[in-house]
Formats: sequence, structure tokens, C-alpha cells
Amino acid sequence: MTNRRNRLLVAPLLALLALLVFAAPASASGESVGSCIAEKLGELIEESHGDLEEVLHELHVDASIGDHFEKKCIEAPSPILPETNEIIWGGSAFLILFVLMVKKGFPAVRGAMDARAEKIRSDLDAAEQARVDAQSVQSDYEARLADAKTEASRLIDEARVAADQLKGDLADRAETDISEMRERAAAGLESERAQAIADLRAEVAGIALGAAERVVHASLDAEVQGRLIDAYIDEVAGTDG
Amino acid sequence: MADPRVAGYAEALFAVAAAEGDLSVVEDELFGFAQALRSDDDLGSTLADRALPMARRLQVVEDLLGARASAVTTALVSMVVGAGRAAELPAIVDAMLERSAASRNKAVATVRSAVDLTADQRERLAAAINTRTGREVEVRVVIDPSVLGGVVTEIGDDIIDGSVRRRLNQLRESFR
Repeated sequence: MTNRRNRLLVAPLLALLALLVFAAPASASGESVGSCIAEKLGELIEESHGDLEEVLHELHVDASIGDHFEKKCIEAPSPILPETNEIIWGGSAFLILFVLMVKKGFPAVRGAMDARAEKIRSDLDAAEQARVDAQSVQSDYEARLADAKTEASRLIDEARVAADQLKGDLADRAETDISEMRERAAAGLESERAQAIADLRAEVAGIALGAAERVVHASLDAEVQGRLIDAYIDEVAGTDG
Repeated sequence: MADPRVAGYAEALFAVAAAEGDLSVVEDELFGFAQALRSDDDLGSTLADRALPMARRLQVVEDLLGARASAVTTALVSMVVGAGRAAELPAIVDAMLERSAASRNKAVATVRSAVDLTADQRERLAAAINTRTGREVEVRVVIDPSVLGGVVTEIGDDIIDGSVRRRLNQLRESFR
């Protein structure tokens, strides 16, 4: 980059130097206004045979001589066609400058332009790549967002299904529990009723047996005891009929 | 007679009683004392209480049997109690009676009744048992008011229950 900038600065400096260098010989080789006036003045002096007083007098009196000097010395030969030496020097300078520009400046400019174009192209490519990347990221983000929405929807559906299932299970379990409680209550009632009947029967039996035992005990006098023993002996002997 | 220790003591009691020549009396007295131990838990626990001095326990035996039983019976009971086997004394006496009856080729029939049996009833019952089981037995009567009436006879593992108590129990079962 720095090299390319240096080339761009050197090219116009070379052109300016060439202009200055070759301009001086061009003006020196041509006939200047002073020398022209001096030459005309010399010719005028020779015509007056060296009489300066006459020359000065003519210069003051005859204003046309001054005009003559101006016309002869100051007026450009042609407004379109320059002097030959200027054409030579100018053309040479132009050629040299042109060659320098073609050899040095133009490649530098073209290199700078190419580099600039390459940089712009690279920037464009980078921008395009960035755009593509951004689109990819956006697409990925949108895809993820869609996946997230789908997943969320799926989770909601699953939660709803699970809730419905749980609701149904709880209802079934509650129904089962109620049924079992009813059965247990019925069984308990039946068991309690049976137990109450058994207890009542046992109590009645106990009362009856206690009364019977008391009656039997009261009736078991010595005679009865003796008969019972005799009956037992006969039973053991197998002679009780 | 599963316990060798009980069998050993029974054999010793039988040998001493037989040697002293008054076996029948000693058997009756030992049987009576064993029934008293079975019916009186306090007496049994007192004689078996190792916390009491041995002299005190032997004094109890002497007080109970000294004036009512023979010297041989008192000495045999004192020997068992002094050996610290008062809790096993009823089983030892049963085994001794069986051993003695076996020496006469008989078995022991333990008869429980609310009242005592007469001698005639004992003989007829022994004959009836012989008729039924084919075994000669010696009848030992235990007065047990819980029988209420009738008789319960035990010969070894065999039981012939003709008591009023059994009939009342049958009646109780029929109510259930």
C-alpha cells in the first residue's frame, strides 16, 4: 500500500521536474524580447551611424519606432503553431513523460486500481459470505425456533395426555377404593354381626351351661355319684347293654 | 418315662421302699403326697424355691409327713427335695408307681373322680379295664371335684373319660 502511494507521488513530481528542466533550455534557445530589442536598437544605431543622440531623439519623437520594436520583438509568431524548438523540447518532454507514465505511473496506477478492485471484490465477497452466513444463521435460528415450538407443542400435548391419563387413573383408583371400602364395610358389618351372634350364642350357652352345671352339681349326691361310677364301670366292661 | 433323671430317682425310690419291706404303704403315701403337690401350687413352689434354705424346705416336709406317713416315705421325699428335685417329685412318684406295678406285671390306672371309690368299685373297675384292654392294672384314685361326677381313667397314654364334665363340655361345643 505504501509502495503504491509512493509511486503515485513520484509520478507527478517527475513530470514537474521534467517540465522545469526542459523549459529553461526552451526559453534560452529562443530569441528573447530584450535581445530582440537590442538587435533592433543596434540596427537603428548603425543606420544613424553611431549617433546616439539621434537615436534617442527618434525614439522620443517617433513613437512608431517603439511600436515597431514591440511588434517585432513581443508579438508571437503564431497563436496556434509554437516555435520549432518548443515543439521539439515539448515533444521530447512529453514523450519522456509519456514513457515514464507508461512504464512507471500507469502500472502503479493500474496496480493500485487492481488492488483496490481486488479489495472491493474481496470486501464484496466477504460481504456476500457474511450475508450467506447470516442467512444460514437465520435459517438455523428459524429451524431451531421451529423445533423449539414443535418440542414445546409436543411437551404440552404429552403433558395434556399425561394429565388426562392421571385424571383417569385417579378416578379409577378412587372408584376402586370406594368399592373396596364398601366391600370392607359390608364385610366388617357381616363379620361384626356374625361375631355378635356368636358372642350372644356363647353367652347364652355359658349361662345355660352354668345353670345346668349348678343343677347337676346340686343333684349329684352320694347315691347319684355311686350310680354314675357303677355305670362307668359297666360301660368300660362293655356290659351296659 | 422319657427323662432319665426321673427314671433314676424312681428306680431309687422303688429300691429303697422294696428294701424296707413296706412297699404298698410307701406307694400309697407317695401317691397321696404327689397329688397334694399337684393340687397345691404354693406347696410345690415352696419346696422348689431355691431361695429358701434347704433346712427350711426339709422342715416343711417333716411337718407335713412326719406324723402322717411312715419314716421311709418321709425320708424318700426329704431325699428328693434335698436333691433340689421337688418340682419333679410328682413325675418321679408316677414313674416309681409304674416301676413297682411293672414288677408285679401290672400297669397303673389313675382314676379321677369327684368322690372316692369303694373297694368293690376299685376291684370291678380293675376287672373291667382288664376285660377291655387285656391288661392287669392297679387302680389309683385321685379326688378331683372338677370331674363333677363319673370317672376319668388314665392308663399310660390311654384315657377313658366318663365324667359329667366331659358331657357338659360336649354340650358347650354343641352350642357353638
